Amino acid sequence: MRDSDVLDNNPHVSRSALEAMHGQVFGWALSRCDFQQAVAEDLVQQAYVELLAGKARFDGKSSLKTFVFAVVQNLSRNRYRRIAIRLRLLEKAGTESGPDVTQAVEPGENENLWKAVQRLPARQRDIIELVFCRDMTIEEASTVMGVTTGTGRVHYDRAKKALRGRLEND
Amino acid sequence: MTDIDDDLRDVLRNRPDNTGAGEVPGFDDVWARAESTVAQRRLRTRAVGGIAAAAALVAIVFVSQLRPTEQEWQFVDPDEFASSTSWVAPSDILLPKHQFDIYGEIPVLIESTERDGGTLL
Repeated sequence: MRDSDVLDNNPHVSRSALEAMHGQVFGWALSRCDFQQAVAEDLVQQAYVELLAGKARFDGKSSLKTFVFAVVQNLSRNRYRRIAIRLRLLEKAGTESGPDVTQAVEPGENENLWKAVQRLPARQRDIIELVFCRDMTIEEASTVMGVTTGTGRVHYDRAKKALRGRLEND
Repeated sequence: MTDIDDDLRDVLRNRPDNTGAGEVPGFDDVWARAESTVAQRRLRTRAVGGIAAAAALVAIVFVSQLRPTEQEWQFVDPDEFASSTSWVAPSDILLPKHQFDIYGEIPVLIESTERDGGTLL
C-alpha cells in the first residue's frame, strides 16, 4: 500500500486496493439492482464517494472487500427504500406506474439451477451469490448482509436444501 | 464440497449478465467522478457554512443594536462620602424608578372620633 494511495478520510483504505476489487464490487452492485448497468455504476460511484468523504469508515475489523460490499449493500437498500416511498406516493396520487425492472438474461446451460436460484428468497439468494460467485466465507457474507454468522449459516443451509429439493423435483 | 456447489459456482460466475470484462466501467472514470462529487459537496458545505456564519453575524449586530445601552456603574468614594455633608446619588440607576409625591400620594387615614366600648373605631 503506497502512502500516496491512502485516502485522506480513510487511512486504512487505498485507491489501489479499491482498484483491484473494482470488477467484483461492480458485479455485486449489478446483482443489487436487477442488473441495470447504469444503476450499478451509480452505486459503485456512491460507494467510492462514501469512502472518500469518510462517511463509510473502514477500521480493519473485517476485510476491505467485505466492508466495501457492505457499503454497496446499504446503498442499494437505501435506493430501494427511496423507490418504495416514491411508488407509495404515486399510488396515493392515483398515478399508475410500475417499477422499471430489467429481466436478467438466463444462461443456456444449467438453466434449471439458475431458475431455482432466482426463485430463492432474497436473503438466501444473496448469501448463495456472495459465497459462490464472490468467493466469500459465510461469515464475510453475513457481515455484508448485516446479519449474524448464525443467521447467515441458516440462510445458507436453507438455500442449499431448497436448491437440492427443486433440482430433484425438476 | 458437493456437486451442487460446483454447479452453483459455475452457474453464478458464468451467467451472461454477470460482469463481463468489457462491461465493467473503468475504475479511473468512476473514481474521478466520485472525487468530483466529493469536491462539489465540500464546496457546497463551505458555501452554506459561510452564508450561515454571515447571517448569524448580521443577526448578532442587529440584535445588539436593538438592545438599550446600559448605563455605566459609578461607585461611591467612601472618603469623599464621609467628608461631605450632602450626598446625591452618583447615577440615576441607583434611584428608585418611581418617585412619589408624599403629599399627593400618601393615602388619607380614616379618622374617627366615635368610640365603641372605650375603643376608637
